[in-house]
Amino acid sequence: MRSLVELKNNNNLYGYTNWRYKALLILIIGFFAILIVGFIGLNFGTIIIQPEKIWSIIWQHQTDNSLGLIIWELRLPRLIMAMLAGMTLASVGGSFQGMLRNPLADPYILGVSAGAALGACLAIALQYTLKLYLIPYLPFFSLLGALISIALVYLLSQKQTRLSVSDLLLAGVAINFFFSAIITLLLATSKQGTHTMLFWLMGDLSTANWQKISWVILPVFLGTLLLISSSLELNAMALGEEEALHLGVQTEKFRMKIFLIGSLMIALIVSFTGLIGFVGLVIPHIARLLVGPDHRIMLPVSALAGSVFLIICDTIARSLIAPIEIPIGAITAILGAPFFIHLLKRRNNINE
Amino acid sequence: MSSNESIISLEGVSFNYNQHPVLQDINLSILPGQFIGIIGPNGSGKTTLLKLISGILSPKQGKIKIFNEDIDTISRKKIAKMISLVPQDSFISYNYKVKEVVFMGRIPFINQWRGETALDYQISREAMEKTDSLCYAEKGIHQISGGEAQRVYIARALAQSPKILMLDEFTSHLDLSYKYEIVKILQDSLKEKVQCIISVFHDLNLASYCSDQLILLNEGIIEEIGTPQEVINEYNLKKVYRAKNHIVQHPELAIPQVIM
Repeated sequence: MRSLVELKNNNNLYGYTNWRYKALLILIIGFFAILIVGFIGLNFGTIIIQPEKIWSIIWQHQTDNSLGLIIWELRLPRLIMAMLAGMTLASVGGSFQGMLRNPLADPYILGVSAGAALGACLAIALQYTLKLYLIPYLPFFSLLGALISIALVYLLSQKQTRLSVSDLLLAGVAINFFFSAIITLLLATSKQGTHTMLFWLMGDLSTANWQKISWVILPVFLGTLLLISSSLELNAMALGEEEALHLGVQTEKFRMKIFLIGSLMIALIVSFTGLIGFVGLVIPHIARLLVGPDHRIMLPVSALAGSVFLIICDTIARSLIAPIEIPIGAITAILGAPFFIHLLKRRNNINE
Repeated sequence: MSSNESIISLEGVSFNYNQHPVLQDINLSILPGQFIGIIGPNGSGKTTLLKLISGILSPKQGKIKIFNEDIDTISRKKIAKMISLVPQDSFISYNYKVKEVVFMGRIPFINQWRGETALDYQISREAMEKTDSLCYAEKGIHQISGGEAQRVYIARALAQSPKILMLDEFTSHLDLSYKYEIVKILQDSLKEKVQCIISVFHDLNLASYCSDQLILLNEGIIEEIGTPQEVINEYNLKKVYRAKNHIVQHPELAIPQVIM
């Protein structure tokens, strides 16, 4: 904070803008955007609740009537879970794109999702064949699956002594294919579990509750902060492996660090929400188009934009043809793709 | 030359990629204040030598010391505060602004918790002024020409305020006017904080023009080391490059120049 004041007083920044100001501004804008979008989102659902009513329900903490229960036990936890998932997917996606120097990377590219999915599907299949009640332990299975895939990717990518970018990517893709094949097998053979599995695979926020939030909220915020605090190294990585080394980044260790933090965050969030696609790929791109590629700004913008975006998508998913729910993964792609194309075109026009 | 005075010293350094020898028994001692040029045909080990001195590669045999410290024992971050590199070619994976790329030279000096200070901005701006790249500071690195980008990489390396500045064929994209301007900037930097410049050259005439000492590499061994006058002669070049050549003296400077 002291250096913030110091820099404020020093108007002559040699042609540079203080990123702390940008970051502060973004935090404030993002915070209000989440509040506004969240509040609007609370209105919609199977029944529409008037804003004044929601206002009083929230401030008086009413849980003794049905509307209060809808807000406090259904919509609010779901909204917060959507926010946390969006934050995780977008910030991990952005970090992976930076770390792998690959704009097509997404949080699922290094194989975590396939492991998580396999864990979850296996638990569902076991539940129906062995008649064990495993659904409450689904996150545990999915987390275990994700950890196994993280370990496998790590071991597979160890070629000779150096851990290169392409080794990591290839290992991730291989694990993805392999695990996906097993999931397909489970889907084809499990008679009763198929529906549950499919819903998990498409992303499902309907099971969100306060307890689940209490498990993920701290790791999500901590992980996001850790990723944002790695911004300078991520910037250095954009110059290339060797130049990053020359800037003092221990590239192999650093890649491992980002891979592990990111994958663990994804493993955790995905265990509770299923595989929500598109957010982790596109939101970082949108952030880059809006504020440039400097990770110190781009990652916070990604995290906040991801939150806002998923809150919007979830609101639509549960209210468009209520009471039937649309899988959130479909909404993220339908909404996100045109917006993304529009931004790309606009950027090209500016450059010409 | 006593090893205490030298800022870089190599003793019996050998390196090989998968049994294939690249450098053999290199002994070298570099004194402060010098512009060192590394020349030699393709595959003679020039870039490998550069990578060994900057600690990117570790020698299979022998010892490399920087400021009398074994380079294997120095952390990457500490090396980054001493050595910077201008790469031959670079692809930056996202479209950073020129000023942001130059600012990356400050990364090893920025405290993770306190962040950068105004001094970091000042040093970056000065580096851009020196390399005449300030006028396109706001442009994206993907929007400028190869020659302009090369000056940005040099600015970034200078922003790192190195004691040892390394360049890998830095003139590859520069036209004549900028070539000599950049050489001037580099030579001026030697009078300031930079204590030593080591550059790989493809262009023998430019190497002769810039360097105080030349290292002529041939198939992984040092063929000749000395002043341009000592190294660049018809015998050496014929032996190493296996091509007919003529040496003339520069009309104004006492340096040899090679013509076909």
